[in-house]
Amino acid sequence: MSVRNAILGLLCQRNRYGYEVLQAFQAVAGGRETWELKPAQVYTTLARLKENGLVVEEISDGETDPGKRRYAITPAGKAELQRWFETPVPVEHQRDEFFLKLMLALATGQADPRRLIYLQRASLFQELHRLTTLRMELDPYTSLAHILLLDQAIMHIEADLRWLEMIEARLDEVRKQPIPEPELRPRGRPGKHEKNIIPMKEEP
Amino acid sequence: MSNPIVSTQSLTKVYGQGAAAVRALDGVNLTIQPGEFVAVMGPSGCGKSTLLHLIGGLDRPTSGTVWLDGQDLTQLNDDQVTAIRRKKMGFIFQFFNLIPVLNALENAALPMILDGMRPAEARKRAQEWLERVGLGHRLTHRPSELSGGEQQRVAIARALASDPALILADEPTGNLDSRASEEIAGLLRQISSTWERTILMVTHDARIAAYADRIVFLKDGKIVDETVLEHRNGEQAEMVADKMKEIGD
Repeated sequence: MSVRNAILGLLCQRNRYGYEVLQAFQAVAGGRETWELKPAQVYTTLARLKENGLVVEEISDGETDPGKRRYAITPAGKAELQRWFETPVPVEHQRDEFFLKLMLALATGQADPRRLIYLQRASLFQELHRLTTLRMELDPYTSLAHILLLDQAIMHIEADLRWLEMIEARLDEVRKQPIPEPELRPRGRPGKHEKNIIPMKEEP
Repeated sequence: MSNPIVSTQSLTKVYGQGAAAVRALDGVNLTIQPGEFVAVMGPSGCGKSTLLHLIGGLDRPTSGTVWLDGQDLTQLNDDQVTAIRRKKMGFIFQFFNLIPVLNALENAALPMILDGMRPAEARKRAQEWLERVGLGHRLTHRPSELSGGEQQRVAIARALASDPALILADEPTGNLDSRASEEIAGLLRQISSTWERTILMVTHDARIAAYADRIVFLKDGKIVDETVLEHRNGEQAEMVADKMKEIGD
């Protein structure tokens, strides 16, 4: 969704060729290393936007690129873009692959949770240094926006490192607790004799 | 002379194999005495992060040894290294990552409480360090009520309260403006001079490094120079910057 909406924004800025859209997206997203787009993804997104009437194609009649297609945003596209601006970005911090790994290590006994933490920490530190080095190479007088993007990533990594510390400190407690299992509920309507299994509290 | 807190012998880390092998660290011998404040500097890719990882028990060397407070980390298994890291090392990061709903005192005490210390004892220690870093009047303030410099002080108190043998500061001033950076560097200076804690700091910033007792310059995985500073209050920043230039940024 974000790529689609960002493309609308880039076309709102000015009309662009497909390849220009790709380049412009990567530039605003923080560089190719940050968010690499495949040309195919750009062209299929543009095709879908066109189908939905959010962009139109104009055939260039200029001498430089005769026949090359430039994309332009439509009023409907502008309205869609406005909707995006007005909607807060949902956060998904609770979906965490490391957490899943940890739970399954505990459930299966196939991996040592402390080892998982150790490996994850080492990898986070590597990434922390890579990002810090990247940030230092940027000039705050011209690239402040990109620096802030890297700051966000660095803050998250440092928070993840603190979180690993907490898990490590409380791992023994976690181990003593049951691994979450789905509630086993028989399908369909409960039989007569199954009713009122849970004794109701008597009213005073 | 007392036993060093950190001592590495021929510390080497090679990433990859064969022709693609990179020697990130190549035979580093580094000794840090108790109460010393050592800065590690060098151009990007010089191996300073790798050195910090190895000393911090976050990675294992290809060869050589790391002694931390009398124990050879390379002879210990992962669990033992983890136990030592938790007990003997305090990390100071770039951002403070304080927990918003906890006040300064609770933030500084939390890691010790999680580690099983009695809450009353943890709070006592946390308070002592918060007072030392000049936040005695801010104990019940939440992070949102503190300035950036004050938040970093809470983070420093949190790192020190468990009384680690070694403080590892990894670009601690990365995101602060230059005034706040120097304030933090001055505080690290004080932690070493007044309270005799041992600090190993990695930084790219000559102004901050100029607060250390000693600066170790790394290049291509080797120590290429070492400077003991006379004034440890930032005054020699220019000299440090010149040295960095000499080494090649």
